[in-house]
Amino acid sequence: MRAWIVVLLLSASAALCAGAAELGDPALAPLRGGPGLTGFAVADKPREFEFPRDHGPHPEFRTEWWYVTGNVESEKGERFGFELTFFRVALKPGTQRAPSGESSAWRTNQVYLAHFAVTDVAGGKFSFAQKYERGAAGLAGAQAAPLRVWLDDWSFEQQGDVWKLRARQPGYALEFEAKPEGAPVLNGDHGLSVKSGEPGAASYYYSIPRMSISGTMTRTGTGKGARGAVSVKGSAWLDREWSSSSLGATQAGWDWFALQMKDGSALMFYSLRDLDGTRDAHSAGTWIAPSGESHPLSSQDVVIDITDHWTSRRRVRYPSGWHLRVPSQSLDVEVKPVLADQELGTSPRYWEGAVDVKVSSEGQSAAGASRSAAGEGYVELVGYQ
Amino acid sequence: MPAKSPQAHFANAPTLWAASLRHLLRHPAQLALALIGLSLGVATIVAVDIATSSSQRAFELSMRAVNGAATHQIVGGPDGVDEQVYVRLKTRVLPDGEPEVALAPGVEGYVSVGDRDLQLVGLDPFAAAELNGGGATAGGGLAGGGEQNPIRWLTEPGAVVMSAQTARQLGIGPDGRFTLSVGGRHYPAHLIARLTADNSGYDSLLLTDIAQAQEWLNLSGRLSRIDVRVPDGAEGSRSVETLRRELPPGLTLDEAPRRAQESLDMTAAFTTNLKAMSLLALLVSTLLIYGAISFAVVQRRRIIGILRALGATRSDVLRMVLIEASVLGVVGAGLGIAAGLAIGHELVHLVARTINDLYFVVAVTSITLPTSTIVEALLAGLGTSLVAAVLPALEAVGSTPQLGLRRSVLEERAVNLSRKLLLASGALAVIAGVIVASTTRSLFAGFAALFLLLLSVAAFTPAVLRGLARVAAAVLGRWSPLARLALGDIAASLSRTGVAVAALGMALAAMIGVSIMVESFRESLRTWLEHTLQADIYVSAPGPGAARPERQLESGLAAQLVAIPGVDQYSLSRIVNVESPSGSLPVNAVQMAAKNYQSMPLVEGSPQRAWPAFDAGGIVISQPLAWRLRLRVGDELKLTTRSGEHPFPVVGVYRAYGNDRGNMLMNLPVYRKWWGDKSVTGLSLYLEPGVKPAEAIARLRSLSHGRQSLLFISNSAIRGVSMAIFDQTFLITGVLNWLAAGVAAIGLVSSLLAWELERSRELALVRSLGMTPAGTAGLIEAQTAFMGLAAVIAAVPAGLLTALVLIDVINRRAFGWEIDLHLRGAQFVNAFVLALAAALAAGLYPAWRTARFSLASEIREE
Repeated sequence: MRAWIVVLLLSASAALCAGAAELGDPALAPLRGGPGLTGFAVADKPREFEFPRDHGPHPEFRTEWWYVTGNVESEKGERFGFELTFFRVALKPGTQRAPSGESSAWRTNQVYLAHFAVTDVAGGKFSFAQKYERGAAGLAGAQAAPLRVWLDDWSFEQQGDVWKLRARQPGYALEFEAKPEGAPVLNGDHGLSVKSGEPGAASYYYSIPRMSISGTMTRTGTGKGARGAVSVKGSAWLDREWSSSSLGATQAGWDWFALQMKDGSALMFYSLRDLDGTRDAHSAGTWIAPSGESHPLSSQDVVIDITDHWTSRRRVRYPSGWHLRVPSQSLDVEVKPVLADQELGTSPRYWEGAVDVKVSSEGQSAAGASRSAAGEGYVELVGYQ
Repeated sequence: MPAKSPQAHFANAPTLWAASLRHLLRHPAQLALALIGLSLGVATIVAVDIATSSSQRAFELSMRAVNGAATHQIVGGPDGVDEQVYVRLKTRVLPDGEPEVALAPGVEGYVSVGDRDLQLVGLDPFAAAELNGGGATAGGGLAGGGEQNPIRWLTEPGAVVMSAQTARQLGIGPDGRFTLSVGGRHYPAHLIARLTADNSGYDSLLLTDIAQAQEWLNLSGRLSRIDVRVPDGAEGSRSVETLRRELPPGLTLDEAPRRAQESLDMTAAFTTNLKAMSLLALLVSTLLIYGAISFAVVQRRRIIGILRALGATRSDVLRMVLIEASVLGVVGAGLGIAAGLAIGHELVHLVARTINDLYFVVAVTSITLPTSTIVEALLAGLGTSLVAAVLPALEAVGSTPQLGLRRSVLEERAVNLSRKLLLASGALAVIAGVIVASTTRSLFAGFAALFLLLLSVAAFTPAVLRGLARVAAAVLGRWSPLARLALGDIAASLSRTGVAVAALGMALAAMIGVSIMVESFRESLRTWLEHTLQADIYVSAPGPGAARPERQLESGLAAQLVAIPGVDQYSLSRIVNVESPSGSLPVNAVQMAAKNYQSMPLVEGSPQRAWPAFDAGGIVISQPLAWRLRLRVGDELKLTTRSGEHPFPVVGVYRAYGNDRGNMLMNLPVYRKWWGDKSVTGLSLYLEPGVKPAEAIARLRSLSHGRQSLLFISNSAIRGVSMAIFDQTFLITGVLNWLAAGVAAIGLVSSLLAWELERSRELALVRSLGMTPAGTAGLIEAQTAFMGLAAVIAAVPAGLLTALVLIDVINRRAFGWEIDLHLRGAQFVNAFVLALAAALAAGLYPAWRTARFSLASEIREE
């Protein structure tokens, strides 16, 4: 039983996970367009966003995710990075019914997948877990008002004016309250984020770049040292994106940056990589001023130099340090992972980790450097082989 | 041939071995028959071992194939577990420090594809992967289909997966479409992938998504069970405790191996009986080998005497005989294993069919030959022949060189021995009696008594033979000197004839006993069916398994069916398994027609008191259940209802043969109140006088047409079906019984053949005195026939006794049911014919040889 279920699952997860390129990671192939798309809604023009409706699911699209990443710290100064992500994937357009008679509550085309990772900086440990569930029978699902996304006992849900995050894995458990600071920011062209020149290769994409976090992080492991609950505070980033096809045929993956500066400004930038290793012209981002005002960034607006590399146990070579500049916003920073190993050995595998942001030596001399003196953030590296 | 050991040995050991070898080669028929006998005995144990262990292994594999990593299971009542219980457990927030528990839902039922019964297993691939420790590397498994499979599994209605072998057997190709039926409802199915795993655990399974299984089995909102995996040790026990606390009443959390064992235990009585039958065959062959070896020794008394005179020591001779026996034993065991494999191949289908009919669906597609069986067979072969050889060997060694040359000494001893054996026989019978009298429940003790009884038969047969021969010689001898000669010869050659006749007598006694038991059982069953099946028409949803919840009438259909014109009274029943502290128990919840009450044969409790108490909530249990759970009227039986455990008073015990695990009757409204299950498994209709069942069935058929294919059976047909199932079950017993008798018959042939051949000189002398060749042949045949007859005479009373032990001890202890003794002439005639045929066959060759040999050459030898 076990062997074939794993086969089933691995190929199912291929259908589930967030994009990449045909010649890149084959596990990501389903995020691309093609004949499988027929029947799904397509992100091909800007739309009216409406909240809280759009916090909820969009089952007419093939994939969708609720992506929370953040950095928190205990009173004693113990630092943790965390990622709690829920993916929704429609295996087929439309809803499913039994051919005759009463339909089982388990019958569905919707599958949910969730990743929960903790970067325990003080303990020097990175730990992750993933879960699958069908979006039926109350096991996993999403709703808009009040917002609730859940998979088994992992959840992200609104309670009054806070959003509660809850997840546990062997070793760690978190229970956080998140308060959005400011309205959702629409990325790209009023929320339409075009990913390639191919028609329909786009998503609807908004972010809440800053949510204040308070709650407890619990080390449940039996290992040496700290065990038990720690009160923490910090800040998180919510990314919401849905689409039916988001990558072009020549794209291999992406590097995504979500940086929160101490002065209240924030930067989101995704650098799409083509198969030849160069940056795709559709790479883009958003600069959010401390006032909350946002400015779209094009590929030319952002200059990134890789300053370091790291090779994982799974023999994948990832960039592991960046010199990032946004001249138009006088931003000139060094971005460094807080731990080199923040790779999720899921399928597809990717690197998603907490980073420190420091003003670069060039930046220190420049005007306005103090405004964004430093910060924290998360980086995601997908499609590396 | 073994290497020579230093000194102390017979200086001319090769001579000894050459003599041994030459003897065997000169008597190939005798050697062959001894080998056949031994190997048949060994083959029978091997075959039974293979058949039962293959069936059990197939069952265990299929249990393990579905969530094999589960340590526990949560189960509920007849309609399973509310799926919301699972959802609550999956989404509950565990307190910090509480270990992770893996849970997986399962929806199971029996379905039919063509004439093949399969276990439909509805599972959730995500939960199953987590429970079975997913995340491991992918291995081979799915053949054909490719990457689309997981998506099709979840999104395609009717998608199923089965083993490649089962698909091949059912003639379903890759991506094939077929129809499956569940309790008379038909659904289209689509084979999206085949499993090519190298074990047969999947061969009885049809896998599908849990949603699909719920829809097909009409179990929306319900799960058959929740599989649970908790960590080892204290952490796990804590999780189990927490889970138990969180379960609503009516659900139980059991250890998974216990559940599997419970299913296997169901077949325990059945397999014990098979095993006992095979041991009987081996026991018979022990006597046979004894006969063959003692002949080999007797025939060589001369040469052994000469060798001893030439300086061979006692231990040389002893070693020779024992090594001969060992070689015979090992070769016989080897042949037996080979033959056992072949017989086991056939037997396994019979066993599997019986298990399918009576217990659970299992597909035995691969034969398991456990190493333990091979070792067991070798030891049995070796042990049997060594045990059998010890007496003759000691005898050969015990005689002084001169005496060894004389046969009369041996015969004297045999006569003495037969007297001692007569005493031993009495002692064995007494011990058997004491065992039966002093134990009440032990099946093992029952079988021990049975074997002692059979040994006792074997022990007194030589004395019977001698006595009969002497009496007959005295009576007939007055008229015919020839008869006196022939019969006197038998009495005087007890050392050779006694053993063979004893073996035959024992086998015949067993054969008579078993056939009386089977016939009595059959007759009791027939009478019982006639008495209890009083309704004219029985309606039920078809499908494998007796108490399967998926066998139910479409809702509303029952009410319409009983409303057809011509129905006088009717009973409604719901047949399910319910949980209890004593394991899962079948319940037949009935709303009884007035006529139905009268037809229930109560063996405990009076109808006047039992039935009103039954209507008020009491249960009437079957004899096997009363026996198994040691219940009497006035006791209470706790059952796990929807709202937890509840005691039900036992108000009556009825005679029943339908289910060896036992059954209970409960008033349908009472069942519905406690379990909330409104379904109906079947109806029994009593027609008004003058209404023809066939016409009523036609009406019922047209009412249900297009909604559900139901079984409409008249009472005579249901009796026929029951008897057919019975006969099929006892087919195995019959086969084994004949095997044991065959072993004995071959033994008789082999012994008598050797004896007659040994007497060829004597016979030549008789002929030279003027007897015709035909007369000599007749003499020989008469002698062997007499011995066959003696075996039958000893076997008849012993057979009757055996039957009584089988009926009143073995069956009662194994199953708890009462069987009335029924005697039929045929049971004895069979034994008589077999014995006579074997005896006459044994005389054929010597008779033919005597008739045509050269007188001169036979006599000249002297």
